[in-house]
Amino acid sequence: MKNIAQMTRRGFLKACGIAAGYMVLGFNMTKDAIAATMEFIGLRQKSVYKADATLFKYRKSQDNPMIKKLYDKKHGFLHEGPCGHMSHRLLHTNYYDRSARIKALKEKGIKLSL
Amino acid sequence: MSGSKVKKSPKIRPVDLSGLKFDKEGTMKKMEDVDYLINAPRGVDPDNIYFVQVDTSKCEGCGECEEHCATGAIQAINDDGIHQVVNPAACMNCGQCLANCPAGAIYEGVSYVEEVFEKLRDPNTVVVSMPAPAVRYALGECFGYPTGTYVGGKMQAALRKLGFDYIWDNQWGADVTVMEEGTELIERIKHPSKERPLPQFTSCCPAWIKFCETFYPDLIPHLSTCKSPIGMLAALAKTYGAEQTKTPAAKMYTVSIMPCIAKKYEGLRPEMDDSGFRDIDATINTRELAYMIKKAGIDFKSLPEQEPDPVLGMSTGAATIFGTSGGVMEAALRLAYEVLSGQKLTNPDIKVVRTHEGIKTADIKIPNFGTLKVAVASGLKNAAKLCDEVRAGKSPYHFIEIMACPGGCVDGGGQPLDPSIREASICKYMIAKINKRYRKRRIA
Ligand code: SF4
Ligand code: SF4
Repeated sequence: MKNIAQMTRRGFLKACGIAAGYMVLGFNMTKDAIAATMEFIGLRQKSVYKADATLFKYRKSQDNPMIKKLYDKKHGFLHEGPCGHMSHRLLHTNYYDRSARIKALKEKGIKLSL
Repeated sequence: MSGSKVKKSPKIRPVDLSGLKFDKEGTMKKMEDVDYLINAPRGVDPDNIYFVQVDTSKCEGCGECEEHCATGAIQAINDDGIHQVVNPAACMNCGQCLANCPAGAIYEGVSYVEEVFEKLRDPNTVVVSMPAPAVRYALGECFGYPTGTYVGGKMQAALRKLGFDYIWDNQWGADVTVMEEGTELIERIKHPSKERPLPQFTSCCPAWIKFCETFYPDLIPHLSTCKSPIGMLAALAKTYGAEQTKTPAAKMYTVSIMPCIAKKYEGLRPEMDDSGFRDIDATINTRELAYMIKKAGIDFKSLPEQEPDPVLGMSTGAATIFGTSGGVMEAALRLAYEVLSGQKLTNPDIKVVRTHEGIKTADIKIPNFGTLKVAVASGLKNAAKLCDEVRAGKSPYHFIEIMACPGGCVDGGGQPLDPSIREASICKYMIAKINKRYRKRRIA
C-alpha cells in the first residue's frame, strides 16, 4: 500500500479486501495501516521544514528581536536572562508522582500494559 | 513588524456573533467528524476527567485503539470486545486512540468552544489567542487545502475575524522555551547534580509529562523544569503582556489553541496559576477552531495573510519546528551550539535529529565542547524504552526529546483526522466481524 491518503476510495476498498483476506489467514494489518498514517504525517512534517527554511527572517530563537526585548539586560521584563529569578517564578514548574492511583488500579485487578 | 516575510494587509473587522445559536453544556456536538461533550471545567482536578472516552453504542470491537495506546488504558470490557478507557489515571490524554478509531466511536470529554464564543461576545473581556505551531500546518485541511498546507497567515486573520482582541502566538512562546530550556541544559551539562541530572528530558508534551509522573516517577528529576511553550506564553500573557498592552490581567481570557487533547489537561493543572490568575482559561484544538471559523460564517479561503501582534507574537524558524518530532531538539541545539562553542552556527539545519518515526539518536560535534549525545522519540511506547535505559543508569545521552504522538504534534490527537482512517472503516468492520466470529468459535 503506497499512499493511502491519495488513493481513490475504490482502490482503497480493494486493498482492504486483500487485507481482510490476510486477516483470515492470520496476518495483522495494523503495521501497514501505521505505515500509511506515517506517510500522511510526513506531508505535514515536510511542510514544517519548508516553512522553517523559507518563511522566516530569523531561524534561531536568540536572534528574534522580540526575544531580545524580553531578555534585555537593562529594560527587559526578564532582564536577569533565561533561568533567572523571574523566569523561575513564571516559566518553570514542578512535577508530581502520580503512581499511587495506578498501584491502586492494579490492586483492584485491572491489567495495564506498564 | 513580523517574524515571517508576509506583506501587511488591511485591518480586519470582527464578524457579528450575536445571532449564532449555541449548544448547551452537557450536550454532544460533532466538530470536524469528532464528537465533543460541551463541557468547560474550571477549578477541578484534571486527573478525574475522561478527556477521551468510547461511546459503547458506536464501538465495533475491532481493537484498533488498543494498538495505539501505550498504557493499556483503553481495553475490552466484555466478550464482544467493546472498549472503554477504564480509568482517567491510566490515560495520558494523547488521543491517539481517537485519531485512529475507524468507527468514530471515541469522543472528547471537554470542549470550551461555547465558553470561548461567550467571551468573544462579551465586550468587557479581553480575549487572547495563543495558537501552537502545529495548528497552522493542518487547519487548512478542514477547508479543502491539501494535507500539510501552511495556512499561518490566514489562521491569524481568522482569529482577528472571530473577534480575539490580542493575536499572540505560541511560536513566540516556543522561542522563549528555547532560551529557558537550552540554558537549563547547558547548566546541567556544566554542573550535573542529583537534583538536576543528565540526561535532560524535554517537557513540552503534557501526555509525556503525565506518563513520566505516572509510570516513571523516579525519573522526574530528569525532566526539564521548563513549562511547555503554552505554559510560558500564558504566564507571560497575564504579566508581561498585560503590562505591555496596559490591560488589567483580571479582564483577560487566554485561549490556548492546540493540535492536542492532553493540552486541556495541562491547562487545568492546579499549579498553572503563576501569573496570579489561571494562566490558561480555555484550551481548544485545531478541529474546534475550524468548527468555530465555519460556525461564525467566515470564508477561510478568501482571508488575507496576516501576522500576529509582534511583542508576544513574533517568531522564528526554530519555533515553528516545535510541531514536529525532533524539532524541539533542533531548535534547542541552534542555541546550545552557539553558547557552548562560542561560535556562530552558520547553517541552522541540523537534519540528523529530524525524526519521522520511532527513535533517533545522534552525536552532535560542537567545537570547544566535544560531542553532545542526543535522542529523539515519538510515541509513548518508544519513550518507555528510553526511560528504561535511564532507569538502568545506561543512558549515554545529554538531552532526550519525547513527544507522545508519532511524528510529533503535527499528528496530535486534536488535529483534523487522516481521511484514510475513516475510509478504512468498512474494511475494519469486516475484519472486526471476522475476528469476532473467530473469537466466538475459539470460545465454543
Ligand atoms: S488517549 Fe492515549 S493514553 Fe488515553 S486511552 Fe487513548 S491512546 Fe491510551
Ligand atoms: S505530541 Fe503534541 S499533540 Fe501529542 S500529546 Fe504531546 S503535545 Fe499533544
